[in-house]
Amino acid sequence: MKLTRRNFLAWAGIGAVGAVACEGFGIRQGELNIQSPVSLPEDLVRGTDNWYASLCRTCPSCEGIVIRVMEGRAKKIQGNPYFPTNQGKTHARCEAGLQALYHPDRVPSPMRRSGPRGSGQFVPVKWQPNGMDALKEALRTRGSSSVLITEPLRGHMGLLASRFASAIKGEHLGFEAIDNNTLRAAFKNVYQQDSLPDFDFENSKFILSFGADFLSTWVSPTRFNRGYGEFRQGKDRDRGMLYQIDSRFSVTAASADKWLPVRPGWEGHMALSLAQVIVSEGLQASGVDVDALVGGDAGIATLNTFRPEVVAPLAGLTPEMTGGNPVEFLKDLARKFAGSSPSVAIGGGSAGAQTNGLFALEAIYALNYLVGSVGVKGGVKFNPGSPWDDVPASGNVGSLADWTRITEQIRSGQTKMLMLHGADPVHGLPESLQLRDAIAQADDLFVVSFSPFIDDTSALADLILPDRVYLEDWGDDISEPGPGYQVVGLQQPVVNPLPDLDPLSFPDVLLTMAQELGSESQLPWANYKSMLREGSDALFAMNRGSIDAADTEAFWNHLLRRGGWWDETATGATDVQAPTGLLRTIANKASDPEFNGIGVGADSFFLVPFAHNTLLDGYNGHLPWLQSAPDPLSTVTWQTWVELNDNTASRLGVKEGDIVRIESSKDSIRGVVYTTPAAPPDVIGVPFGQGRRHGSDYATDRPGSESSNVMDILETTQVKDTGSLAWAGTRVRVSKTGESVSISKLEGDTRAVEIGHTPAEEIIKTIAPEDHS
Amino acid sequence: MMPSGKMLPVMLAGGIVTVILGFVLVVLLISWFSNPPFGLGNAPAQPVAFPHTVHVAQNNIQCEFCHRNVTKGEAATVPALETCLFCHKDIDGSTETAKVEIEKVRTAFDTNEPINWERVHRLPDHVRFIHEAHLRYFTDEDILVKYGINGEEITQTPDVAQTCTICHGDVANKTEVQPKTGQSLKMGTCLDCHRANSVPTDCTVCHK
Repeated sequence: MKLTRRNFLAWAGIGAVGAVACEGFGIRQGELNIQSPVSLPEDLVRGTDNWYASLCRTCPSCEGIVIRVMEGRAKKIQGNPYFPTNQGKTHARCEAGLQALYHPDRVPSPMRRSGPRGSGQFVPVKWQPNGMDALKEALRTRGSSSVLITEPLRGHMGLLASRFASAIKGEHLGFEAIDNNTLRAAFKNVYQQDSLPDFDFENSKFILSFGADFLSTWVSPTRFNRGYGEFRQGKDRDRGMLYQIDSRFSVTAASADKWLPVRPGWEGHMALSLAQVIVSEGLQASGVDVDALVGGDAGIATLNTFRPEVVAPLAGLTPEMTGGNPVEFLKDLARKFAGSSPSVAIGGGSAGAQTNGLFALEAIYALNYLVGSVGVKGGVKFNPGSPWDDVPASGNVGSLADWTRITEQIRSGQTKMLMLHGADPVHGLPESLQLRDAIAQADDLFVVSFSPFIDDTSALADLILPDRVYLEDWGDDISEPGPGYQVVGLQQPVVNPLPDLDPLSFPDVLLTMAQELGSESQLPWANYKSMLREGSDALFAMNRGSIDAADTEAFWNHLLRRGGWWDETATGATDVQAPTGLLRTIANKASDPEFNGIGVGADSFFLVPFAHNTLLDGYNGHLPWLQSAPDPLSTVTWQTWVELNDNTASRLGVKEGDIVRIESSKDSIRGVVYTTPAAPPDVIGVPFGQGRRHGSDYATDRPGSESSNVMDILETTQVKDTGSLAWAGTRVRVSKTGESVSISKLEGDTRAVEIGHTPAEEIIKTIAPEDHS
Repeated sequence: MMPSGKMLPVMLAGGIVTVILGFVLVVLLISWFSNPPFGLGNAPAQPVAFPHTVHVAQNNIQCEFCHRNVTKGEAATVPALETCLFCHKDIDGSTETAKVEIEKVRTAFDTNEPINWERVHRLPDHVRFIHEAHLRYFTDEDILVKYGINGEEITQTPDVAQTCTICHGDVANKTEVQPKTGQSLKMGTCLDCHRANSVPTDCTVCHK
């Protein structure tokens, strides 16, 4: 065909039409595909949520919680309104449990150490064969010289851990940095009770607290806060009165009608002084056999050595503190305490963490006998223990004496294997114990950590076998303290681990190991769930309590739905009698507090550490919500702060935000100054919980964060007769570093102020409850 | 050269025939390239041999567990790989074939590659079909009598899974998902069903 202009245009037109037509007929790439995305979209759908009842594990009291789960993801944690101890209330700590679930720093899979011990160098390995076979081999060859260190374990996990340790001929010890061993010993000696008791604040008229920060961190703060709310503002009752005798201005002290800043270590003497006034003035409750309680004339004579005239100067009470004569103040306090029935005395915290802590707590709790508040409404209520014969209701917790022994055993090669779960003893014990060095330098030691997060102890591990976190696993708990009757809480998995994580349940690993090592007779359960199910069936067979079900299956379902079982008729003892001559026995134990570290001087102070409101002893340090939750008093977040009196700070030439060095005879740490008029001039307060050296950035002392571990400078002083760490028994020196940072606290003037300086404050003072009593 | 007066009607008729034939040809081509042809026949092979028989018939997993938007919105949606791994993180499969296919899903997840399934049921872009509204209608217990897409009378209120079978057939017992036998899901199907159930048939009900 001849190429003419006309032909060219015709063919060009046909070509263009053809190209358009073919493009139109063709199917675009992916047009007929439908895609499965890799990750679950978070906000694609509206839908129905499910709520599951379970238990919180971010604090030792294990509150009942409900978790909102939608599309396989846990979204929200709230209090379980049915659960007897917390009755629907929760601490901020509980809500942050979601962050443990979704934490970016979770150990994703088993890991084996690849560098020198403590270097933090690990390589991932498979569960099978590397992880489990290595564990099995270590247990086979070293089991009889092993120590299993866990958090304090109650319920079936406590039974499982103790039987496992027994099966491999090893040892099991619970670990708490701030342990309750001295408190338990006091309850045993004074009330003959093994379990922690409950305190019926709700029905009490007067609370006399020695060092127990029960509104913030002490024992079971959510339960106590609820009772305190009723105590102050309950219907059909008068507002109760709270006195706090405490060497530090704590959250509870800030809420008290009167805070008395006692010299550290003299709380027990003050308690006996109050007892002396009650006895000498005949103020005891009716029916109380004072002669038997005191121990006759000899007891009276001993008690008289604690007269207010003697104790007030020893305890450092001044007219400025007490608003008049300190002796008269103590007498007046004794009269109010004895005259406000039902009243209750409690003690703990720094009061029990001195060398004479056991004496102090015994003296404090013995006061309840004098005012008739033992085993009655508005006083001390005892708990009945476990509903099962062989399942423990209290954790087996080691004391400083135990940890000192184990450190020596590691050093000498006697202990050849450490297994760790829920415990970070390297961070939670005084650095001067040198546990870190002992583990790092041991030649023939195998360390296995079951922690889902790297911490200071698991960083020293040879093998890390990550556990599931509590929202992914089964469990149970016998509430301690319970509400005065038997309570069992059940923990259930509400979600599966995220797909990129490969954890295995710690109890299931123990059961597998026990069976592979031939210990089926002691641990016959196929998995932990079947062990719990057997416990549920046993509860059903008791035919009592809150669940009325036709068969074991229905009982188990009710248990899951309600988050637990309780029996209000299974109460603790109500007829506890005081040992004869109790007050005399206690008075004979009295001793002055002993302080180690820096000697007395112008620049030396009593160091009163305290549990962080949300991080506690550091257990929650890796959770950013809890790092950023402001301390209720100072509002400081993220940092380690040092509470200094205004005048002391002026004398030292430091101001808020300055960094000071706190030095004991062992070591020194840095902290950011927080000045307050409410800090006693010779006391500095520093929170526990910060300053990890390994693991999540949120918890470690990264540059500029000023995060220090106060344990690094504590002396290894023990409480007499219990061997616990006397963590409030160290004196320190404070010195300027010349550095300063912005303190991370809320803006504005949130400082505590003394009332009575302005006309408005005079009015507040005038209507303070004390003047209306 | 201009055409003569006699040639004009012939050319006009030829042009009309050409346009008609062209239109038919275009329709045929579009239908051909639509897969499966004419909405009938077998669906293409899928990248992973997912057996609904194992998941639904044997293990009783509800339709909406994977097609999680089906009761909530327009598209039923296919599950994210993460949803598959809820179970298949631990479940390896009991046959060699299953193991191979499950490993494909795991590998896709590990390499962050989505899976592109071949679409079995497809509606044109100008059609709006909302799964949620249809499921709500058929599972409504207050409507005593309903009719399926073949005019069959439904007197027992179906659950979600049973409702799915009205249009999609017995997917639970198919190792490969195919269109319901003899059912093209064309416009006529929609209209017949709407009329039988006294549902409006205005254009804008379905057409965008």
